[in-house]
Amino acid sequence: ATAAASATTEFDFKSYMGSRAEAVNRALDAAIPAGEDPVSLHEAMRYALLAGGKRVRPALCLAACGVAGGREAWALAPAAAVEMVHTMSLVHDDLPCMDDDDLRRGKPTCHVVYGEPIAVLAGDALLSLAFHHMASVGSYPPDVDPDKHPARVVRAIGELARCIGSEGLVAGQVVDLEMTGTSEIVPLERLEYIHLHKTAALLEASVVIGAIIGGATDEQIERLRKYARSIGLLFQVVDDILDVTKSSEELGKTAGKDLASDKTTYPKLLGLDKSREFAEKLLSDAKEQLAGFDKEKAAPLLHLAYYIAHRQN
Amino acid sequence: APAASASFDLRRYWTSLIADVESELDAAMPMRPPESIHSAMRYAVLPGAGKEGGAKRAPPVLCMLHAASLVHDDLPCFDAAPTRRGRPSTHAAFGTDMAVLAGDALFPLAYTHVIAHTPSPDPVPHAVLLRVLAELARAVGSTGMAAGQFLDLAGATALGEAEVMRVLTKKFGEMAECSAACGAMLGGAGPDEEAALRRYGRTIGVLYELVDDIRSASGNGKMRRNASVLRALGMDRALGIVEELKAQAKTEADRFGDKYGDRVLPLYSFVDYAVERGFELQDAAATP
Repeated sequence: ATAAASATTEFDFKSYMGSRAEAVNRALDAAIPAGEDPVSLHEAMRYALLAGGKRVRPALCLAACGVAGGREAWALAPAAAVEMVHTMSLVHDDLPCMDDDDLRRGKPTCHVVYGEPIAVLAGDALLSLAFHHMASVGSYPPDVDPDKHPARVVRAIGELARCIGSEGLVAGQVVDLEMTGTSEIVPLERLEYIHLHKTAALLEASVVIGAIIGGATDEQIERLRKYARSIGLLFQVVDDILDVTKSSEELGKTAGKDLASDKTTYPKLLGLDKSREFAEKLLSDAKEQLAGFDKEKAAPLLHLAYYIAHRQN
Repeated sequence: APAASASFDLRRYWTSLIADVESELDAAMPMRPPESIHSAMRYAVLPGAGKEGGAKRAPPVLCMLHAASLVHDDLPCFDAAPTRRGRPSTHAAFGTDMAVLAGDALFPLAYTHVIAHTPSPDPVPHAVLLRVLAELARAVGSTGMAAGQFLDLAGATALGEAEVMRVLTKKFGEMAECSAACGAMLGGAGPDEEAALRRYGRTIGVLYELVDDIRSASGNGKMRRNASVLRALGMDRALGIVEELKAQAKTEADRFGDKYGDRVLPLYSFVDYAVERGFELQDAAATP
């Protein structure tokens, strides 16, 4: 137990995240056709994709591949793909006809810089690129298992497609849209539905896809799925808390927006203290799911959970 | 080739194909919560009481991808098209936000559908299924259909023949090429055959669109917003290009004649139909 404890305390989270973000950024940059027509469409995609961001989803994907016994490099293409999907959802979400946001990751949003129609197209193109990148043989290193790898990739693509669509990400956005603008308070279970779909679904897919590519057993995949759902919800609870406790400058996006738009949030429904308690509960649920895995290999996922729980922006 | 076309009943072939595709599309998008988004998706893809069958040229998956692009193409910030297929466009019926999301949900539904409905690994190996998925994503991506939408948006159709043909190729040729390429991959075609079918598909896609434009300009077809193609080409040149495309498509189809005999007939008759439109498909579909 002491050895395990020291293994986790010795884990250098900052340098792990730094090196993974660097690898993912390189992969993203290389995945966008360079110098190919139409140049400004590719420019808009690159702007949205490389505007910064913490690369939490790709890191989850790589870490899950590792905990499943795979080499992280096997999951680099899927990790880039989930970030493309995430970026696409942000670009469309920020549109004037949706959330109408001018600021994202501390920079003007895609439609502010390139105009609305190009932002719509850039989002669509990023979505296509995610699937193209993930399905292409050339996106993977040569040491993947030639017998098992194609089936794993097919399964992983199915997972990604399902989590984005009308039963995943989009379902969350739709219910969220339907709730916005009505002055009635959204019940807790409805709020949870929104977040489980809008935020947690892609985090879940990131983890599950990494696990599939890494060769996890079905039982391992399900445990990691539960871990991901907990941290997915946790991510949103923390987001809601930060929105009321931090400034726009600290967040790199408009703060206090939830309050201004009359949006139902965890702090509003539960109060700030109870929201923090709920966050702690979700963190311990997530940690529980990692208990059966090799301590050293599980360290990145464990520290990602801590990070999501305790981040300041 | 003319005789061959006459002996093949394209109308019957196509009509039964449409019925199959529409029932598969219907089954692929059941109503479930959240109902608003599923209504919008069904509206965008299924022809309903509309005039032009959404399932006209391609299997269900291509319909989903195509419909997703069209829904976004019609948005107020884009072409601001109030109608599509003779009824209100999706954003007019469901709101702009819902139309953005319906498009976003239709793209991934296409991939889910291919994976769920392709018997893999037997007879279709996983590696082939991955090639099909990559091809679908390529066709609608930033160097395919999205490139065409971008060029169209940027006003490329006012720039002369080369640019007009580029827009038509990207916007309409890529999807048809993809359709033919997926068929080639799933049917186990070799690299040369696949390449020929790609060229055939691309040519046919452009041919159909150009003929549609000509028909609408001469008052025979549906009204189209986009008359800039004909303005840029001029009617005489447009008719000349139709003949060139027709010849090209037949040349590609000829490559298969020796090996496949009568099975090539649909390929020829699609070319003839593109130009002659001897019957109206929507009528055929409505009264089988």
